[in-house]
Amino acid sequence: MLEKFHVSQKDVVYINEEKLRSVTKQILMTQEIPEKDASLATDALIKADLRGVESHGVSNMLRAYLGAFKSNSLNPKPNWKIVKETASCATINSDNGLGIVVAPQAMEIAVEKAKKTGAGLVTMNNCGHLGMLAYHSMIASQNDMIGTTMAACSPRMVPTYSSVRALGTNPISYSAPADKLPDFVFDAAMTSVAGNKIVLASRLNVPLSPGWIADKDGNPIMDEVSIDELNHEDESKNLENRYNKGYISSSVDLLPFGGTREIGSHKGYSMAVVVDILAGILNGTRTAPTGEYKNQGHFVAAYDIDAFIDKKEFKELMDRYLQSFLDLPSNSEGKKVVYAGYLESIEENKRSKSGIPLHIEVVDWFKKISTELKTESL
Amino acid sequence: MLERFHVPHDEEIRIQHSELQRLSTEILIKSGLTNHHAKIATDVLLKADIRGVDTHGVSNMLRNYVQYFNEGSANPKPNWKITRETESCATVDSDQGLGVVVVPLCMEIAIEKAKKTGVGLVSIGNSRHLGMAAYHAMMALEHDMIGTCMTSSTTNVVPTHAGIPGIGTNPIAVAAPALSKAPFVFDAATSAIATNKVRVAQRIGVPLAPGWITDEKGNPIMVDTPLKQSDDPNDVAGIMQTPVGATRELGSHKGFSLGMVVDILGSILNGSLAGPLRTFKAHQNHFVAAYSIDAFTELNKFKKMMDEYLQILEDLPPVKGQKRVLYAGLMEEETTKERMKKGIPLHPEVINWLKDICSELTIEFDLSEGGIKDA
Repeated sequence: MLEKFHVSQKDVVYINEEKLRSVTKQILMTQEIPEKDASLATDALIKADLRGVESHGVSNMLRAYLGAFKSNSLNPKPNWKIVKETASCATINSDNGLGIVVAPQAMEIAVEKAKKTGAGLVTMNNCGHLGMLAYHSMIASQNDMIGTTMAACSPRMVPTYSSVRALGTNPISYSAPADKLPDFVFDAAMTSVAGNKIVLASRLNVPLSPGWIADKDGNPIMDEVSIDELNHEDESKNLENRYNKGYISSSVDLLPFGGTREIGSHKGYSMAVVVDILAGILNGTRTAPTGEYKNQGHFVAAYDIDAFIDKKEFKELMDRYLQSFLDLPSNSEGKKVVYAGYLESIEENKRSKSGIPLHIEVVDWFKKISTELKTESL
Repeated sequence: MLERFHVPHDEEIRIQHSELQRLSTEILIKSGLTNHHAKIATDVLLKADIRGVDTHGVSNMLRNYVQYFNEGSANPKPNWKITRETESCATVDSDQGLGVVVVPLCMEIAIEKAKKTGVGLVSIGNSRHLGMAAYHAMMALEHDMIGTCMTSSTTNVVPTHAGIPGIGTNPIAVAAPALSKAPFVFDAATSAIATNKVRVAQRIGVPLAPGWITDEKGNPIMVDTPLKQSDDPNDVAGIMQTPVGATRELGSHKGFSLGMVVDILGSILNGSLAGPLRTFKAHQNHFVAAYSIDAFTELNKFKKMMDEYLQILEDLPPVKGQKRVLYAGLMEEETTKERMKKGIPLHPEVINWLKDICSELTIEFDLSEGGIKDA
């Protein structure tokens, strides 16, 4: 994440990982989520917080999920099932369950299939938010496989040359194991910036960068701009919606990554279409452009490394490959070349020792909700 | 393609598809390919020319291939083979054969596997250039499958925050069928532009746009950059490209990371060196996959939904100053129809090269026979 998204030191309270885990799980269980599912969901949330992906951890997502359960827009006890299947593929109806509950189990199915045929692909419809995508991809890497995760999301992106939004932020994640170095773990929205980052920017009151959002006519804004300047409807009302009802209603339109056509926005736009196809149309989801978007569609895949090459050879070669990027000279002093997953791994080590930094506003929310739900307090 | 890359209309010379096909096949046979392989390679090249992807057609690529054979950096008669295999996966050693020959044969393997298990994946090492990546992904379409193709290529892209190049332009192609609409066919470098576009820019003498290349220290140049018009458009040495996104804030780390995904699937997975570890310039490695739609959903339902989906994108109201919103593959389908009728526009410089090579290889090349005509 860019530096500006990190919580400033004076607003931070460090919370022990185990404590946050226990409190989060108890809160989820008050929503009639079975214990096993609550454990899965908690693990996905805490992993995001540990890896420094605050936008997808407890601070942003837990209360959004609670809002969704409260307003009955998510099923706490999904009876998800496989509706079509081959040796390497499956389609799942998620029964409106939370993505961080159903997707890890779908990835387990993909991994099992990959152990037999070399590859497992699962597409899921009728599903809720799946948190940090990397979490699911990483389940594959832990099994010495390459993992992929995609999510077909609600409309936020203005396609290249369009004047209105049509596609979701549609993130893509890939994970591949290394031997001694941190695994390669990529996870990014196909917009310049993730929707959750706009929420963070609003909370932290930081400006949005050039090339991130479109003006009201769909033109890329190529200057730095603050959310207040945009003269959009009040973003805090959107936050309220998010936390009470569990959905994003932001009026800020996001650009495909690349920003403008000349810098390659058509590539971000087209990759988002690929996500809609694999995570949506392939399982019958009415994705964002149809205007009938109701729920997310997801796609996970696992490719068994041993099906292609000795996994030891692969992992050693990965170490050499990843190290060769870390060793590249940088273009300016103070900058270092890193690869996706490297900083997140360092952060994870740090935070599992010294605790997870939460914004005081989030800590206050935890206090309030634990009292309300009569659960263990932070 | 951006307008600036098209051959200027007053300079273009149109050549019929069938004639260019004959010339390309004969040139490749004279270069040592078997008839069968020359036909496969020509089909890949012509598909690029007919779809308007001039960067990857006969004009840019055929002469490179001929040069590879002349200097011995590609094997005209590869004895490629599967080195490892499961029900859904295979690893192939290309024996230094051209990608435009070996990769279509590998995509056939992927398709056969997908018919049985739902998916087929093939990682291909020890290979050479594969032409337009979309060609291979599109092979899946006629089998009602979704196709993917990636190429791990020569390092001329500067990773985010790096001072020197470290990764290839590493394109990704994905093709998915529709019912009556043009299929979705995406094919793009994970760099801001393909290296071949730099070659075209040099030939045509147009400037490079902001965010496409870096200065000598690796910093993205965010203004128009004129290139010297060059007699040798293949000379792109010293030009350092940016990942898609150009700067970190616009998402260059996403372009860079997607490039790494291509390296991992296309190279590391078959044991090839990639990225900063690469040692041999002509060496390229690939990854192809075919997903059977029928394994996930009812085929006709999928195709109908695709039609509806693509139509919605096409019908989006355009931003001021633009005529319409496109989806990947739409314009290429329209260009195909136009070029099948009116012929393929070539730059005079390319016609001269064709004349020279035909005379050198004693291949018949006759302007007056109706093969070539003005637009």
